[in-house]
Amino acid sequence: MSRPTHGLRDWLLQRLTAIYLALFLGYLLLHFLIQPQHSFQEWHDWMTHPAMIIATALFILAVLVHGWVGMRDVVLDYVQSVRLRITILSLIALTLIGCGIWALRLLVQVSG
Amino acid sequence: MTTQRSAPVYLNLLRIRFPVGAVTSIAHRISGVLLFLSLPFLIYLLELSLRGPDSFKQVLAIVQNGWFVAGFTLIIWSLLHHLLSGIRFLLIDIEQGVALQQARRSAWLVNILAPVLTLACSWWIL
Repeated sequence: MSRPTHGLRDWLLQRLTAIYLALFLGYLLLHFLIQPQHSFQEWHDWMTHPAMIIATALFILAVLVHGWVGMRDVVLDYVQSVRLRITILSLIALTLIGCGIWALRLLVQVSG
Repeated sequence: MTTQRSAPVYLNLLRIRFPVGAVTSIAHRISGVLLFLSLPFLIYLLELSLRGPDSFKQVLAIVQNGWFVAGFTLIIWSLLHHLLSGIRFLLIDIEQGVALQQARRSAWLVNILAPVLTLACSWWIL
């Protein structure tokens, strides 16, 4: 089975998602430094603001892409057996998809 | 064609001395894998924190639990190291700080800053 490789596309995806992840994390850190949230209401209102829901959904999608490219690179570098590679990559993909559905569903639930 | 190995094979890890940039790089990988592994746990905490005032307090209790501090500190270090070394790699990609001396200096900076900020964060949370 031959499959075209998408090295350059993945390289670029990894960097574009990295920039978004870094910006979002920087915003989170800054926000918590300026106003630490001690009550549920403050935290809930901030997290369920429509802009924050959209930004967090994008963050989750970026984590999925970034995590997949990164974990795949690590597995391809250190796991030589094809069978083991396929097994581990499948587990990683399932974990990421599961986490993605879980987190996005959570966002939909709290926003509605 | 004869296959000839010209590169020396020497894999005694205790005797290989890693340049500082290699430490930053491998730690970027290790922290990335740790972050991947902690994903389900982090989503669980997020879910719990948004469920209601009582479970929000439960999250604070979990995060501040003495037994849990070590694990959580490791996650914070992973996040900070991955973020800082990631920024360093992105800067090197756009040809900032590529010169050996600068690259070594920024690698040291990342390797030291990540644990220092981790301690500061842990202190602040607890």
